[in-house]
Amino acid sequence: MSIVTAVLIGLAMGAVFGLALEKSRVFEPGMIVGQMQLRNFIMLKVFLTAVATGAVVLAVLHGAGLVTLHVKATVYAANIVGGLLLGGGIALAGACPGTILAQVGVGYRDAVFTLLGGIAGAVAFSYAEPALAPVLLTGGPGKLTFADLAGLPYWVLALALAAALLVALYALEGWRPWRRDLGEDVDGLHTSGGRGTGVPGGHPSPAE
Amino acid sequence: MSEVSLRDRAWSPYLAGVVIGLLQIPAFLLIETALGASSSYVTVGGLLASVVDPSVTEIDYVAKHVAATAKNWWQVALVVGVALGAFASMRLSGARRHPVSPIWTRALGTPSAAVRYAVAFAGGFVMLIGARIAGGCTSGHGLSGVSQLAVSSTISVAAMFAGGILVSLLLLRRV
Repeated sequence: MSIVTAVLIGLAMGAVFGLALEKSRVFEPGMIVGQMQLRNFIMLKVFLTAVATGAVVLAVLHGAGLVTLHVKATVYAANIVGGLLLGGGIALAGACPGTILAQVGVGYRDAVFTLLGGIAGAVAFSYAEPALAPVLLTGGPGKLTFADLAGLPYWVLALALAAALLVALYALEGWRPWRRDLGEDVDGLHTSGGRGTGVPGGHPSPAE
Repeated sequence: MSEVSLRDRAWSPYLAGVVIGLLQIPAFLLIETALGASSSYVTVGGLLASVVDPSVTEIDYVAKHVAATAKNWWQVALVVGVALGAFASMRLSGARRHPVSPIWTRALGTPSAAVRYAVAFAGGFVMLIGARIAGGCTSGHGLSGVSQLAVSSTISVAAMFAGGILVSLLLLRRV
């Protein structure tokens, strides 16, 4: 495929991605920080729904032999240390590497600084990579999936994951209806002092 | 349930999640890769760094990411598209955003824009270092990796939420 075609496909897919991030409000710092403080569950709902959908889609495509999987290698230290730093950064930024761009798109000025910080971080890592590779980026079983571990076909376990997530999301929605997490200005900010008591589900529902 | 429109201010997280999950179809079928975002920072960052320091492309990791391949530049286009899509969505719904989300006055305990900009830069910096160490972010490890039942991604996502919860509870105030 030519680069131009790939770029056009990327722009189109990104536009759909950005639309979904904006419409679901999950790109809002209020939703992301709120999720990390366990006060707002919109991020988890979007995330788990997308994972479940992806699992069904890939179960079909892979089961039909149309695609190969693109699994990242398991490197215990790197996955744990990197994941912790990634999460800490997400909390301070109120964004993930993908949602930063949605924040820039809607005009959040601080997101420009997050973006610059992200690019600087990627460059810093690039310079450090040759030194980190033998220490931190090594040591693990390589490309490994739970289907390999269980000795089951990928599609079987992927559909099982999707089913389990469906049940979990149903329970989560019963416990925390998503509309309550939106906030008055759909940015996850709750101005009506009754919010944020720390009691799950203990906040008043906005007038509907 | 009411009708869904592009002019809505908010969609159900479930509808948005399904839309995002379906994006794996063109990613796998057309680009032969999984949805991801953080590699593009190495591509763009490497390219910018090479302007001041041309020797940066001698690092294999950078060379691999700035190479003129469909996959590298597809992902850069994807994240640019995210900004365009979010902008269009906001315009369609007429939602007005503050220059900085009002949650930060609460979370940081100060209305200072300079403080927020500094924290945002630091957050972005740590986030991308972490993502590149782990080998992926919320999209690559999170959405794509967990869907593929990858052990690496499941560990990374668990660590990501652990790190996020710790930092947001210890360093930020309640939003």
